[in-house]
Amino acid sequence: MKVLTGIITSLKGEQLLVLDNGKPVLIKTGDHPEKMFGNYSILKQHPVRINDETIKGPGVFKFRYGPVTAGVREAGCFYLYTYGEKILRATIDISWKQREIAKAMQGRSPEKALALAEGVSSNFALSHSVAFSRAVEMALQQTPSLLTKNWRILFLESERIYNHLYVIYKLSSAAAQKVLAAHVSALFEKALRLNEKLTGSRYLMGINSTGRLLHAPDVAAVEQIANQYADMARQFTELYKHSLKNFNYLDRLHSAGTLSPEQAIKLGLTGPTLRACGVKDDLNDATEHLISLPVITQKEGDALARMEVRAEEIVNSCHYLVNHLRASDSWYDAKEKENIPQQAEGTGYAVVNSPSGALGYYVEIKENKMQRVEIFTPSYVGMHAVSHALEGLIFTDFPFAFESFGVHFADAAI
Amino acid sequence: MTRWWPIYGLKKKLTEQKEYVSPVGLTKPKTRIFNRSLFVYVIDVGSSNALNFEISALESPQYNIHRFGIFMTDSPRHADVLLILGRPVTQMLGPLKETIAQLPEPFYTITIDDHPDQPGLNDYPELPHHMAALTGIPSPSEILGLLLDIAKTKRMKS
Amino acid sequence: MKTLFIIALLFFVAGTVSSGKNKTSYIFAFLGSAAAFLMGCFSLTSSAVLWRFELVQNISLSLYVDHLSAVFLIIATISWMALALYSVDYSQLYPKKRLPLGFNLSLLGMMLILTAHDGITLLAGWEIMTIFAFLMMQGTGKYFEHSYRFLAFGELSTISLVIGFAALYVTAGSISFDALHKGSLFVLVLLTLGFVIKMDIVPFHGWMQNIYGEIPDNTAALLSAPVTLMGVYGLVRIMPLLPGSQLWDTILILLGAFSAFWGGLQAAAANKIRLLPAYSTVENNGMILTAIGFYALAKGSGLPALHYLAVFALAASLVLAISHTFSKTLLFLSIGHAKEAYNVHTIDQARGVWSGVGRIPAIGIVISALSFSAFPPLIGYAGEWMILETLFQSYRFPGVTLAFSAALAGILIALAIGLISFAMIKLIGYTALGYDHGRKSRPVPNRLMHLAEISLELLIVLGGIGLPLVIFFIGFPQLLTGLLAIPAPLVLASNQPVFGVISPTFIAIIMVVLMIIPVWIFMKNKKKTRKVKSWNGGLKLEEDEFFTAPAYSQIVEHVLRGFYHTREKKTKSRAGIQVEDILIRPTDFFTRLVQKTGDKVASTLMNGKISAYVAYILVLFITVFIIGMIVK
Repeated sequence: MKVLTGIITSLKGEQLLVLDNGKPVLIKTGDHPEKMFGNYSILKQHPVRINDETIKGPGVFKFRYGPVTAGVREAGCFYLYTYGEKILRATIDISWKQREIAKAMQGRSPEKALALAEGVSSNFALSHSVAFSRAVEMALQQTPSLLTKNWRILFLESERIYNHLYVIYKLSSAAAQKVLAAHVSALFEKALRLNEKLTGSRYLMGINSTGRLLHAPDVAAVEQIANQYADMARQFTELYKHSLKNFNYLDRLHSAGTLSPEQAIKLGLTGPTLRACGVKDDLNDATEHLISLPVITQKEGDALARMEVRAEEIVNSCHYLVNHLRASDSWYDAKEKENIPQQAEGTGYAVVNSPSGALGYYVEIKENKMQRVEIFTPSYVGMHAVSHALEGLIFTDFPFAFESFGVHFADAAI
Repeated sequence: MTRWWPIYGLKKKLTEQKEYVSPVGLTKPKTRIFNRSLFVYVIDVGSSNALNFEISALESPQYNIHRFGIFMTDSPRHADVLLILGRPVTQMLGPLKETIAQLPEPFYTITIDDHPDQPGLNDYPELPHHMAALTGIPSPSEILGLLLDIAKTKRMKS
Repeated sequence: MKTLFIIALLFFVAGTVSSGKNKTSYIFAFLGSAAAFLMGCFSLTSSAVLWRFELVQNISLSLYVDHLSAVFLIIATISWMALALYSVDYSQLYPKKRLPLGFNLSLLGMMLILTAHDGITLLAGWEIMTIFAFLMMQGTGKYFEHSYRFLAFGELSTISLVIGFAALYVTAGSISFDALHKGSLFVLVLLTLGFVIKMDIVPFHGWMQNIYGEIPDNTAALLSAPVTLMGVYGLVRIMPLLPGSQLWDTILILLGAFSAFWGGLQAAAANKIRLLPAYSTVENNGMILTAIGFYALAKGSGLPALHYLAVFALAASLVLAISHTFSKTLLFLSIGHAKEAYNVHTIDQARGVWSGVGRIPAIGIVISALSFSAFPPLIGYAGEWMILETLFQSYRFPGVTLAFSAALAGILIALAIGLISFAMIKLIGYTALGYDHGRKSRPVPNRLMHLAEISLELLIVLGGIGLPLVIFFIGFPQLLTGLLAIPAPLVLASNQPVFGVISPTFIAIIMVVLMIIPVWIFMKNKKKTRKVKSWNGGLKLEEDEFFTAPAYSQIVEHVLRGFYHTREKKTKSRAGIQVEDILIRPTDFFTRLVQKTGDKVASTLMNGKISAYVAYILVLFITVFIIGMIVK
């Protein structure tokens, strides 16, 4: 299947970054791109006030949730049109986190720009970092070593684990399942500590660079870390199976924020959100796993389905980590060769399987300095999906609809 | 066999017993009325989201901040400490001022600047009762150490 | 007393004659009401025949005041005086001749009703009141076609009374009230039905929906408070004199309770600023009807154990009548004041009277709304407690059906009080104390409006705190007692031996005493305070982000969607909730039927052809001739 990830406009014309069966390709805009890709107009206009159309009526008013709230801690604003309990339309204003990072990257060297990329949304730090590095490597014709590639994949799965645990923690807190939330939160903190043990940073920042890893992961502790991931998988499976027996929990998540597969495809969604609607996507192929992970789908497309997809992905990622961490000493090179770029300028692009979907980078480099960077995040289309999912919900179901998508304002606004 | 969850949780002994050390000291002498009762309101004015995750991690059982009497509030009107995450985006300067105006006396403000060299963000405006300024992404232990410096009691070690 | 009656009559006539000059006319109305008030005061202790005139053999017209008339006269005239004062200022906004003319004559009609002692005088007063109230509805110069419904219901009430009195004449040979004890069940049903219709009990409330927002303020207040009070007076006067019927009393209890519940239900969903108090009238009158029905039932059973309860039920209906008249008048006056100042129609639009219009009308809305919500120690609290307390004691009735019906009535009334509190909070929260969004109110002449509002506010508060005095005033000192540390007669007991008690006087004393220490402490330590804007996520709240009044009631409209027939209308750019008062459907149906038949008949008979007209006249002539022959 073809998914439009981003649009690049330049003096030479318009190009589309499309994910074609898991492989990113850059194609020229055809005659009717709106017919081919449902999210073309969204990405082209790129509104920062998403779904901004007023509703009027007797007793209808705009309930503003944000930009400073305790429920959604990030700076972002929801305008919920309602005549009482029901949300008629949700306008999401993401402009409160706009830091113009893509512009700030211009003129910097790739290494310095990569630090900025990690600061877009630090919970996706590694996905940004890997996508950026791959794009730069494509532009500068650099080939990272096998060691670098394999470790990157392992780190991507680590990032997936703690992000999915965070989503489940948030959902269970919102459903007032305090015991479950506490245990999942303990696993979440444990995952962050494992990240630190593995890479020296809780958010896997500062380990990846263009063409190589900045420093080698601590191989002495690898066996212990692998055991702890195995432990985490076991504990999580136990918690998850138990939570599925709680009808109150299931009832709150069921039918909250339902998306149909047609809507999901039209919005150009990827990742767990799309898979929860029943559509098998090829995003896993973008990762080039050593052994490919199974693609988990559910059918309903509601918050419960999205939670279930994530739960199974956590376990699969844990098993992948355990197996390949134990095998990682076979990748160990005595001397890590620095992969040298073959040219000082070029154009590159890459798409990575971030925990919430496809994350794409398009870079243009001249004289070893970034000339242009375009960042296409999964949270941007995710926010459009949130806006559609919120229509028709009552206010108490708001956290389920929002949290289950796993989107962040920092990631959407760049 | 049905598991009895209280025993299950307690047997894990998740809460750690250790000394939490703050990376910076307090810039002003502090009042004693926050001992064992500190209510924190967190506001994100332009962070890169890592700090948000660290605050969520701070609420995990390993740290168990409630045993120190530290709580996160839902409203700045109930807060003793305003924890400001990130340097402000231009649009967030107004809401930040509004939030500070809502805090009842006495209160402190703590800032955490996660990316000091990121362009596009503003410097902090004049903050009243600015108690501490952290940089980088401190771990939850460090943040907890700082909060405990304000909420420290005579009884517990940390 | 006779002189006072004649003075009042003259003042009302003077007011009618001078209706060209509105202010003078209303001042005459005020003076007439004052004279009637004095007459009522004097008649509290002594009854007198004011006038007697023998029409034909066995039919004499008489005017008579006794303690009961006096009580109702005092209650009604206070309301009239407040309305007259209000209308002096109000007339400067709408100087039409019809309003003061109708006002004076309507008050005259009501005075006749309250002093009538036979059917014909009562009916004369009834008709005068109805027709001139109808005239007042056209008082702003606009023509309201929906106002005919009011007239239709008024005439329905009159017809019921006419048939009732005619039947009384057939059975008893006279239509004086003294002959009522010879009446039959048919008389009872028809007479009470006539009064019940005037009290706006469901389903006879259908005329209110389309017209209440359009009519002048003093008319709205008049129709709601004094006019329905006449229905109450009729019931309280006539029901004890007629022979009772357990079945009919039970029907009245249940009808009253259901009416109260329906009134509360619709008030909770009402968004037009005039309609909410209108439904509150339905609710209050339902409660009064239940109290009267209970009184009749208890008295009619003849059991000595129920004697106290019967008296208590009657007292409950009177206290409720007092509280309703004062509070409803005050509510309509304050709302009218706000409505004229803002020139709007819905609760949502008339926000922030406290800061936008004035303190006194805002306090008026707050006090009257609190009185309706049974907030101690106001008089509404006493009244609503009394009716619930009487229904609590329904177990004393022998027989399961009676006890069960009374208990069911209690459930409905408790629900009604809950729903009406919900509705009144909407009024207080949005209209009186809400945020005014900087709305500009036009200046209205308000000195006398304020005087009327302040006097009613004081009466409601003092009526509650001085409940013993009110009980003395309505003539039931045996209900007052002392209990534990509270001296007699500050406690109102609902049965002897004591079942339940209240003492709003005592509550007021305790409230004041308990406030002294905190206020003193507060004054001593002056804390530093800082005024901040309301917290709304860091930004200023825009006007279209404020919670609206319809949104406030939407939750009730959704939960009880069976009762309201709640419908959602949604398009891409518009959405809204629609509710319906389904008990108006019969009224609508009949209106449409009458209109269609009328149109049909008119088009067949008066189709412009001379021959049809001549045939019509001939047919009528022959019919009358034949009837005359038969009668002869």
